[in-house]
Amino acid sequence: MLKILVCVKQIPDIDLVKMDPETGNLVRAGVPTLTNPLDLNALEAAVQVKESYGGEITLITMGPPMAESTLRECLAVGGDEAVLITGRPFGGADTLSTSYSIVKAADMEGRFDLIFCGKESQDGATGQMASQLAERFDASQVSCCLSIDEIGDGKLRATRVLETGREIVEATLPCLLTVEKDNFYGRLPSLKDYLAAKTAPITTYTENNIDGLDLNKIGVPGSGTIVPKIYPPELPEPGRIIRTGSVKSDVAALMDVLTEKGAL
Amino acid sequence: MQKSDYKNMWVYVEHDGKTAAPVSLELCCELRKLCDKTGDKLFAVILGPLAGDQIEKILDCAVDGVIEVSGTGYEYFNTDAWANAFTVLSRKYNPSAIFVGGTVNGRDFAPRFAVQLDTGCTSDAMELEYDPETGDIQFIEPAVGGKIMAVITVPALRPQVGTIRPGTFKYAPAGRKEQVERIREEINFDPEAIRCRHLDFIPDESDPELDIANADCIVCVGNGLKDSEHLERYRTLAKLLGGKIGCTRPLYDRGILPYKLQIGQSGVMVKTKLYISFGVSGAVNHTAGVDAELLIAVDKNPEAQIFNYCDYGIVGDMDEVCDELIDQLRAAGK
Amino acid sequence: MATYNKITPEIAGQLKAVVGEKRFFMGEDIDPNYSHDEMPIYGKYLPEAAVDVETTEEVSGILKICSANKIPVTCRGAGTGLVGGCVPLAGGLVLCTRRMNKILSYDMDNLVVRIQPGVLLKDLAADALTHGLMYPPDPGEKTATVGGNISTNAGGMRAVKYGVTRDYVLALTVVLADGRIIELGKSVCKTSSGYSLLHLMIGSEGTLGIITEMTMKLIPNPICDVSCLVPFRDVESCIHFVPKIKLANLDPQSIEFMDADIVTSSAAFTGNPIFPETVKNEDVGASILVTFVGSDEDELDQKMIRLGKIAEEAGALDVLVVATSSNKKAAWAARSSFLTAIEADTRLIDEMDVVVPVDKIPAFLIYIRRLGEEGGIRIRNFGHAGDGNLHIYCCSNDLEEEEFKRRVKIIMDKAYTKCAELEGQVSGEHSIGHAKMVYLRESVGEDVFRLMGEIKKVFDPDGILNPGKVCDAALRS
Repeated sequence: MLKILVCVKQIPDIDLVKMDPETGNLVRAGVPTLTNPLDLNALEAAVQVKESYGGEITLITMGPPMAESTLRECLAVGGDEAVLITGRPFGGADTLSTSYSIVKAADMEGRFDLIFCGKESQDGATGQMASQLAERFDASQVSCCLSIDEIGDGKLRATRVLETGREIVEATLPCLLTVEKDNFYGRLPSLKDYLAAKTAPITTYTENNIDGLDLNKIGVPGSGTIVPKIYPPELPEPGRIIRTGSVKSDVAALMDVLTEKGAL
Repeated sequence: MQKSDYKNMWVYVEHDGKTAAPVSLELCCELRKLCDKTGDKLFAVILGPLAGDQIEKILDCAVDGVIEVSGTGYEYFNTDAWANAFTVLSRKYNPSAIFVGGTVNGRDFAPRFAVQLDTGCTSDAMELEYDPETGDIQFIEPAVGGKIMAVITVPALRPQVGTIRPGTFKYAPAGRKEQVERIREEINFDPEAIRCRHLDFIPDESDPELDIANADCIVCVGNGLKDSEHLERYRTLAKLLGGKIGCTRPLYDRGILPYKLQIGQSGVMVKTKLYISFGVSGAVNHTAGVDAELLIAVDKNPEAQIFNYCDYGIVGDMDEVCDELIDQLRAAGK
Repeated sequence: MATYNKITPEIAGQLKAVVGEKRFFMGEDIDPNYSHDEMPIYGKYLPEAAVDVETTEEVSGILKICSANKIPVTCRGAGTGLVGGCVPLAGGLVLCTRRMNKILSYDMDNLVVRIQPGVLLKDLAADALTHGLMYPPDPGEKTATVGGNISTNAGGMRAVKYGVTRDYVLALTVVLADGRIIELGKSVCKTSSGYSLLHLMIGSEGTLGIITEMTMKLIPNPICDVSCLVPFRDVESCIHFVPKIKLANLDPQSIEFMDADIVTSSAAFTGNPIFPETVKNEDVGASILVTFVGSDEDELDQKMIRLGKIAEEAGALDVLVVATSSNKKAAWAARSSFLTAIEADTRLIDEMDVVVPVDKIPAFLIYIRRLGEEGGIRIRNFGHAGDGNLHIYCCSNDLEEEEFKRRVKIIMDKAYTKCAELEGQVSGEHSIGHAKMVYLRESVGEDVFRLMGEIKKVFDPDGILNPGKVCDAALRS
């Protein structure tokens, strides 16, 4: 039976995040959260593997206690176990320290044959986590996977999407994969699983109960990068707005511009 | 660790043996400028054999040196040998920074060797600045869907690793240095130890409609689009203008248009004569990917950021304006 | 039959004086879209002139001129109708209300909103939400005007729980054919005060008067909602499930029906296969999408548990939950795309919007499918299972238009006869226009049809308001 790990992240709805004009900080309070969409594609890939080859799916996330709702959402569509890493010392982590924390907590659950991740998160969007987790899990990695064509004999065959075509690769297990959404649209949970997920047990790890956790390697101290400054994008001066009173005459004015500039 | 022990900046040259990837050359050109500020030397790092004329091309970007790596394990891209090579080289030479083009494979292996070297990695910077006080590079990039710009630094660790998207910087070779260092290294990676092995490559069938990077005219449709039912008129408009249709990221996310039509930093960077946007808000991630001689923006929100990037703008319903433009173009005999 | 006059330059000058030069159009300046609605198959008719009105007084001024000169006046909103209702059959003037798009005021104590007729449904819904309120009617076409919704008594998905547009109209300002301005209804919950001309006006399709201001009822926005998709092997077992949901006292907000064909087209169209085509390795023949609203999650869970129980007894393949914001967005995007998904891959299209008793839905659908097969016409359908309202589309990509019309006519004739047999009605929510008039006449019988005509005469003795529609058979004969 394959032991499968799926890494998921709860993110704020970035369409609704605003920047405080006074402090320059991002205002996340009261902003609804969601499960990172690409993580749901990764989970779907894991579920399809489980359905074809048998297996058990463990979900793992790091975040504030409310990230539990993301785990429950994922339990409802095919996850079997769920792990939450939470605690203030983990806060402010970049990918270097997040990948460390996740692997240390995942080690508490045993060895995994397959690890699935979203290609990137909608909020941070670095796209680095997968490779860094793969390194720390000492696993092979297949990024941008379009299909998982075969698993057996301690290896898998998969199709990757590159800029100009598709690459077929063979990777040894343990293997970490990120997937394209094309074949892995998420599914709706069945009512039975949805209700069961509401009360399913969730394993919680904090900085105090992970074996061999080096506190210098988590959170801000463990991060390789910092964000010393954020600021609103500097905008160029606006262009000329055509405003003549009606769509018809606006477009007529635009036609003149296009003609004059030789764009037609 | 002493930051001052780490000197010089590297650019990884992605290639297929015959051609160096444009992004690698762009990076050499941009990093030349940065190294002139920092006093570092700029090296291009090449794994596996690359045609001589391409190495000449790299030298023309005013690099101070080239590190050519030979050995086993470099027949075809694989994360294991690639990450290993950079870890070995970096431990030997202690570079201050390593830059990798943000291609699919570049983004695949760069974060991995950053972990091997236990250092910080950044993605998708749009500008690179140098802070002489700290000696750190400032990686400046849009964040939270382009709402803010973030300055990211690697304050205590070295090398500073960054992946940069193709098209972010201009290819403008500054000419050859009088003296160029040629370093040759042999790093053998046991082919048996490659855990993700290349079996085959199937090139995409080329579809001219999906090749928009250098189209003369682009009609770009943004998240203002109500539904795919409303899309057809924009195709019609593009056809009338002799151009192609493109989109912003939300439209790809919504499954309305394919990834290859997504314009912007995380999609295609386009260079075009005429660019007309409909319902595009103008997030930095998108506008960073547009190099247009004439940029027209149409959006119903007069406050939309896109109007800051346009030459001419119309505030109005995107569909209505599009329909009217189609009518008037047809009336003009287009 | 009424006789009409042409718009002479002199009359044109008078009309122009009412709305000003910029909002009066003649000849080539008329928006060509004014010649049709979303069903161009019913023919295109251009008006002689068009005006964009902005106030009740302007409408009154226009109608005074038109009634004095016997100029036909066809009122038009967003033109999203499906029965040729806003098409100027007799030429004359198109009076467009799209610029009357202001939300005038909210009364938060009585939960009512006063609006102009050109406000779009989606804009009213969104604006009400910012006040914590919901406008319950939810017709599929969100870019229709609310004025158009009232004129057609539009229904929509939430009719099962909340009723239709009619139930949310408290008062109307109406301009009569001769230009007089009247007020109908009051902002109160009950009335027993004479004939309800208010309700006569609702659903009258611009044939009795022009609505220029409306007072609409709103309700507090439900705190939470969840939807369940219940897939079945076949259409029959799926439809038989509907009355069971109602009997179980689950008070759903909507019960929508979709068969396998429409799910496939919609998935191809939106690019997101949110509704499964197979469940537990079985092909889904048809599904029901049920939506519940409530004041907390527990309440919704309880309803879903009860739904699960009856679904199992009814032989459902499973019950799937649409609970996250992303899934809700995807599910409703898919549901809303049904008509456009059909339109997108169809060249010729005609539709019917019948309503039959809920238990007769399977019989009707099976019948219509057979008609389609016999007649060589592709049939697509979906609908509001909760109230028996079915949207049935006859589609073809390869037939010549005339041949298509000929074959569809045979199907339609038989289908409406069947509908009458099953004790159904000609239109659930799209109304009559000119496209369905013959079928209305057959369905209601001569006595009722003639009464409708008599009523029309009381309001509009010269027959200038939207000629040739609903019960005005004279124009066609």
